[in-house]
Amino acid sequence: MSKFRKVEERSAPAMNTASLPDIVFMLLFFFMVATTSKETDPTVKYTSPEGTRTEDLTPYKQRSEIDFLYLGTPRNPNRASAFKFGYALSLDNVVQATSDGLYSTNAVSRWKRDKFDQKPARMIAPIESVITCVKADQSAPTGLIFDIRKQLQDIDALTIAYSVKDKGINSKDTE
Amino acid sequence: MAKRDIPEINAGSMADIAFLLLLFFLVTTTMDKDQAYVRSIPKKIEIPPEDLPDVQKRNILAIKANSQNQLMVRNVVFSDPDMISDFILRFYQTSEIENKPEENFPLYSTATKGLCDLRMTEMDAKIAEADRVGAADLSNFFSSAYDEWDKKKKAIQLYGKSELREIDKQAHIRIEVQEGTAYSIFTQIHNEIEEAVIELRNKKCKELFSEPYTLVKQRYNQDADARDKEILDLIEILYPARIVEVTPKN
Repeated sequence: MSKFRKVEERSAPAMNTASLPDIVFMLLFFFMVATTSKETDPTVKYTSPEGTRTEDLTPYKQRSEIDFLYLGTPRNPNRASAFKFGYALSLDNVVQATSDGLYSTNAVSRWKRDKFDQKPARMIAPIESVITCVKADQSAPTGLIFDIRKQLQDIDALTIAYSVKDKGINSKDTE
Repeated sequence: MAKRDIPEINAGSMADIAFLLLLFFLVTTTMDKDQAYVRSIPKKIEIPPEDLPDVQKRNILAIKANSQNQLMVRNVVFSDPDMISDFILRFYQTSEIENKPEENFPLYSTATKGLCDLRMTEMDAKIAEADRVGAADLSNFFSSAYDEWDKKKKAIQLYGKSELREIDKQAHIRIEVQEGTAYSIFTQIHNEIEEAVIELRNKKCKELFSEPYTLVKQRYNQDADARDKEILDLIEILYPARIVEVTPKN
């Protein structure tokens, strides 16, 4: 008859965790490469409309040839009446105080000028080709978009982008 | 002094540091791409010109939207917005192979290399004339016209045919919205235009260079290759997207 060896009482060997940092670093590098930094959280609420066949703005963002402005409803709904059509404009997290502020003091064109002057010196794009991306709420009145457009025209910032959420149909072309 | 072994540094907290960095990047970055329709705004004109040439009705494709978000194309109400892109395709394609004057769509004209050369020498003479008089604005205007013809000549060379059919210079798509029109309707109109124009451009680009226009454009945006630029120029001369956004009146 065979004899079973008595199972010894021994503790499980400690797992070698030396490669854990390598794994985590790999994840870290993946995220560093695959993501882009968030622009500032806007101070207005907005829901983008959907669209197809859009242009990807990532290359422009990498070259910092783009500025974003937001058009949406104020976070505090009671303040909506202070703005034209109830929609507020957010420039670099500063909500325009009154609706008139946007029109009488040319807030958009001043903001865009400042933005352009702050660009790094290595940037060679003229102001005409620096994109201004309007992120507007889906039910925002187009009249306001044209007000912004006019102020951009005044300072020769001649490229505008109308932001939408992509439905993802155009990915089939790039295959 | 006696030689001592250098004690090994404990790397146990390395993982913690890496996790910390990882979490930082997870929080401050975003995966979603920014997508938009990029349009150019016409330059501001100080003095409105007096004698504007008349634009033929056949060259205008007016897309209107009112504040109740109803759409109208060439004064016909469109209940289904998806049909607009088909209409834009007809706008471009009706006279593409041969002119059909009986249809109410823009006609095509033929450009040849010889014509480009002729126009370029004409512009040269005009630039010299303007420089002589000292009219810098006029000189600039003619040199931009010269560049245009030069571009067209290069496009014909790349096209590989002796001539190139191009749509009427005045043919354009006009977006007329009212102040109260919702932004989503406005972007939907842009979406329909883009759908039609990109479909035409992709098809042509695949035929000529066996890759879609969108791919070439994407590559050009990344690394600005000169050859890609020529391809884009040619395709954009064949199917120009002239979009006029009319500022709504109060």
